[in-house]
Amino acid sequence: MSTAGFNSQNGTGTGQTYTNGPSQNPVALQPPPGVGYGMNHQPAYNPMQAKVLGPPGPPLYASGPYQPVPPGPQSGSYPVAPAQPLLTRPQIGVLPSHTPPQSASPVPGPRLAQTTPPAQATPPPPAVTSTSYYTGPPAWQYAAPRGPAPNHVNPAVAAPPHMSHGSAQPPGPGAPPTSIHGYPQPAPPPMPLHTYQPNRPAYGPPPTAPPTMKPAAPPAGPPGTTGTPPPPKVDGDVAGNGPQAPNSYNHVDTRMAGAAQPGPPGRHLGHYPSLPPGYQNTSAPPPAPLHPALQAATQPYTQGPQPYQQPGGPGPGPAQLSPSMAAMSLQSSTPEALRVVNLLQERNLLPSAPVPAPTPCLTQDLQKLNCSPEVFRCTLTSIPQTQSLLNKAKLPLGLLLHPFKDLSQLPVVTSSTIVRCRSCRTYINPFVSFLDQRRWKCNLCYRVNDVPEEFMYNPVSRSYGEPHKRPEVQNATIEFIAPSEYMLRPPQPAVYLFVLDVSHNAVETGYLSVFCQSLLDNINALPGDSRTKVGFITFDSTIHFYNLQEGLSQPQMLIVSDIEDIFLPTPDSLLVNLNECKELVQDLLKSLPNLFEKTMETQSALGSALQAAFKLLSPTGGRMSVFQTQLPNLGVGALQSREDPNQRASAKDVQHLSPATDFYKKLALDCSGQQVAVDLFLLSAQYCDLASLGCISRFSAGSVYYYPSYHHQHNPAQVERFQRDLKRYLTRKIGFEAVMRIRCTKGLSIHTFHGNFFVRSTDLLSLPNVNPDAGFAVQMSIEENLDDMQVVSFQAALLYTSSKGERRIRVHTMCLPVVSSLSDVFAGADVQAVTGLLACMAVDRSVTSSLSDARDAMTNAAIDSLSSYRQSVLTIQQPGLLAPACLRLFPLYILALLKQKAFRTGTSTRLDERVFAMYQLKYQPLAFAMLMIHPALYRVDDLSDEGALNISERTVPQPRVLQLSVEKLSREGAFLMDAGLVMYLWIGRNCHQNFLSQVLGVSSYAAVPEKLCFLPELDTAESQRTRALVSWLRDQRPFFPSLHIIRDESQLKPHFLQNMIEDRTESALSYYEFLLHLQQQISK
Amino acid sequence: MIFLTVIARLADGLPLAASIQEDEQSGRDLQHYQSQAKQLLRKLDAQSPDRCMLEAGNMNFCYFISQGVCCLCLCDASFPKKVAFGYLEDLQNEFCEQYGKRVPEVTRPYSFIEFDTYMQKTKKSYVDSRAQRNLSSVSTELQDIQRIMVANIEEVLQRGEALSALDTKASNLRSQAEKYRSDARFLNTRSTYAKVAAVVLVFVTLIIYVRFWWL
Repeated sequence: MSTAGFNSQNGTGTGQTYTNGPSQNPVALQPPPGVGYGMNHQPAYNPMQAKVLGPPGPPLYASGPYQPVPPGPQSGSYPVAPAQPLLTRPQIGVLPSHTPPQSASPVPGPRLAQTTPPAQATPPPPAVTSTSYYTGPPAWQYAAPRGPAPNHVNPAVAAPPHMSHGSAQPPGPGAPPTSIHGYPQPAPPPMPLHTYQPNRPAYGPPPTAPPTMKPAAPPAGPPGTTGTPPPPKVDGDVAGNGPQAPNSYNHVDTRMAGAAQPGPPGRHLGHYPSLPPGYQNTSAPPPAPLHPALQAATQPYTQGPQPYQQPGGPGPGPAQLSPSMAAMSLQSSTPEALRVVNLLQERNLLPSAPVPAPTPCLTQDLQKLNCSPEVFRCTLTSIPQTQSLLNKAKLPLGLLLHPFKDLSQLPVVTSSTIVRCRSCRTYINPFVSFLDQRRWKCNLCYRVNDVPEEFMYNPVSRSYGEPHKRPEVQNATIEFIAPSEYMLRPPQPAVYLFVLDVSHNAVETGYLSVFCQSLLDNINALPGDSRTKVGFITFDSTIHFYNLQEGLSQPQMLIVSDIEDIFLPTPDSLLVNLNECKELVQDLLKSLPNLFEKTMETQSALGSALQAAFKLLSPTGGRMSVFQTQLPNLGVGALQSREDPNQRASAKDVQHLSPATDFYKKLALDCSGQQVAVDLFLLSAQYCDLASLGCISRFSAGSVYYYPSYHHQHNPAQVERFQRDLKRYLTRKIGFEAVMRIRCTKGLSIHTFHGNFFVRSTDLLSLPNVNPDAGFAVQMSIEENLDDMQVVSFQAALLYTSSKGERRIRVHTMCLPVVSSLSDVFAGADVQAVTGLLACMAVDRSVTSSLSDARDAMTNAAIDSLSSYRQSVLTIQQPGLLAPACLRLFPLYILALLKQKAFRTGTSTRLDERVFAMYQLKYQPLAFAMLMIHPALYRVDDLSDEGALNISERTVPQPRVLQLSVEKLSREGAFLMDAGLVMYLWIGRNCHQNFLSQVLGVSSYAAVPEKLCFLPELDTAESQRTRALVSWLRDQRPFFPSLHIIRDESQLKPHFLQNMIEDRTESALSYYEFLLHLQQQISK
Repeated sequence: MIFLTVIARLADGLPLAASIQEDEQSGRDLQHYQSQAKQLLRKLDAQSPDRCMLEAGNMNFCYFISQGVCCLCLCDASFPKKVAFGYLEDLQNEFCEQYGKRVPEVTRPYSFIEFDTYMQKTKKSYVDSRAQRNLSSVSTELQDIQRIMVANIEEVLQRGEALSALDTKASNLRSQAEKYRSDARFLNTRSTYAKVAAVVLVFVTLIIYVRFWWL
């Protein structure tokens, strides 16, 4: 009920934003991804949802969270919706009482023995079961009412119930897991234990025990084929029962005990309330980790399992997880992530080193195997058990991916059969469980599959019969070389087509010579093999093709002036083999800048040029690189200027964030269908309507580069950036005709995607090209309760053709624990990922609704989650703005987002720059997007080698990250601000003479040149240190940030100061004011 | 016109090289033929005739097997047979020269995809009608061109299925025959019993008759 109410409160369809243009979708027979899910399914927590019916005040959610409202106009077609409340209630109300935090109790034996009989609704032989229960006690969720476990009587258990009563929740269900107290309470559905038992036999034995296939598990083959020998294909999949059962028990226990052991959910519940009340007021800053490594060591969750780290492989022996040990870990772990922080009182919250990703609360064995957070990151590292718990936490649930990241180490597997689950097609991964030597159980759909014969042999150790030692099962990130079943057509060659603007305006900027020189320099480094093809098209008011046929003495230019009905002037030789025609291509590149030197043509027929390029590329597919310098104003796809320069600084809503025409989107979808990706380079001083032009890249999985005010003489910083970016662009790895699918454990569902791609079916992203610099984000909701699972997994599989014509599949798998208490959900929040996902959602929101809506929604996201934390998790009400330590940066990041170029108001921002910032937020991988949201500030005049990194014989100093406030600046110093795409080096008026002479090579402050974009190479220690820091920062990212050295009088100083997020500007709040605003809203 | 060219290993039908469809117009409906080509390559083995033309609607598949490598192309029904086989033979020779030794070792599909460049060039020279005249002298050297087997692609692809159908039919027949046989035997014994019983009855009556009336 409550879920339905929430849904109707929020106004269902309105906020559903990012649908990838289902109307144009020629292939989509399914309902459009975003809308369909939003309408029918359980409501995801979507802070970006339009609050149509909600109260007018800023909070996005009604303050009394989730009042049970009579079911709204829920569509009856979706069968689960009406049934849901019936199903969930008893589970929420009763189940937590059986999963107390102290699941790893020291005396599980007798209790377990007591509880097993009622749970034995399923066949397994009793003798076997009982032993297996002993072996994996931590996995054991099903504990009887609290036993006499002295260690675990903590003072906290009594508190949460009060909370739940006090708040306006539906009584009973949804209360935090407070074991005894929650159990006998007269909640509406206080179902006794056995009322739901028969329906849910899976609760009996440990949830992962194989013989008791969950009732909801997919069809498990024909029944009664128990003892069949392995070979038969179909029969082998039957859930093991009968004779094989004992064997499988052992196996599951060894694996799953590991999975379950980690931090028993809610185990630290008892700790924080016992803190002295004044603890939060201590002015000591949080134990600021000085070094990532140190930080990792002090991570709260990793501590627990350490004392009994397994010497063995992934399968810890059953005996190793003795209950008392688990109890010990319980005591020793400090809930650092949940330490209450009063944001109004603690000033120095920003850690002095980059914020590391939180470690999920898993056993070391699983964590060791888990996917790197650089590739795969979840906003909540502890997945809540139910949607209602997620709704209560008011944090968005989603994944942030960087799937094609350049990796230094990547195991590649070549085998004729790729082992996948037969029902959900999941690739085998480290988190599956092996029932015995011949069968494995899928960790996404729980189907039992056969291990094929080839998989029994381990090519690494050259041994037979150890399927769990195969590289596929040892690496969470792996690449397969695909057999021919994964190819619809022979792998395409690498094809590169360059579409160049040669109108008068373009020639003025002088980009053409930079481009031609870059391509000439890197022509041998273009990824590809002997089949690589290239082609060139230039355009102004007409389209020019270049015949580069082998044997010609010089390139032949063919001009098509009929731009209304574009055609290719010759069927072949426009795209030529690079190896065979290299000389002609080089000739062309050398002559091209001069060819149009004197052109007077000012018009630009970009639309027709794109159509021509599409025609040229569609037989093979490939990459189209478009260079554009002005608003297209001729032929199809012509655009008009929509920007009013006087409105740039208005505090009112920003118009024209959505495309003016769907021509570019339609063309992009056609391109996507023919495996053509379009990358857009926009070099322009005037308005170009990036909001419309950008669609061509966004839906064809291309990338957008924007160089505002590009000019070869007036703007050397942009020229250098363009050069470096081009070099990276031309030489980076590329994958062609790619598709990506993201799967997650049954019960979770993905409903919205962010990034550049086209959603071909509900979970399949079509990526005509994939490049290593693209990031993606997805939003998820919990459709079925996850209460019988300890962990859930996510798998992203990227199938692509390498530039060498190999078809490859890159698979990433991540495993996360499931928790049942709200405090655990908060403890696992990954504040950076949450911010990144919120930014993506806000971009969608500002395009579909309005910018002010998006800004409100972001503020509300902070208010909602903090007030929910205050109401549902905190036991002692204190004044101040309280946040868990893991979310202490959340308000700061939200404020940073509000002041980001994409969302700021009241400050003069060009429309194109704003739109580009929005594209960047959605497209950049999280690490880089975070820099664009919250720049890093370093003091660089006193760099020392203390704590420096040593990278390939270079010493890189590691200065502290400072808060973004002018109060941190001093006139005596020099400060480097790293804002992702740009860096500023600010020189104080009274800067040390030493720094000026040793690093900048000038005699005095007044002698610092007005426009300085590089650090002179001086042979001094200071200069080397500074340059090492700057180049190290640059090397870490795939794009090239330009450096500006600024003084107080510089034109760029306002830009520098706009990034001082914690300070007040004429149009935006300071950090402290923002916190007060939050506090006011929360306590209202 | 030649639409599709695939070079595959005979032993397991693993595709080694192929020519990407360049023509946008026909590229769309080739998907069906492509899957047929894949099936065909899997069916072919050392026993198959080494030169064969298979009719598939208004297209023809031509293949040529030699040295464990099979070259297959799809062309118009009107495309001259001679030229098609000349093309295939040309490819075959060049391919075996370049990669022949490595063919048995590879495991990855399309390992020699770079051969595509040569294929496209060769194709161009064969398809070009002016060049064809020059080539005709070459193709006359193909002595056995007249004896190329022509079959229908459906037949070839379904040959296995027909055999298995025949097999099931035969086994059905066999089981039915066995049933008939047992039935017949049963009938036989029943009639024997009836005869014996009749004779016994006659004798018994006779004995009774003699016993009571004659004595």
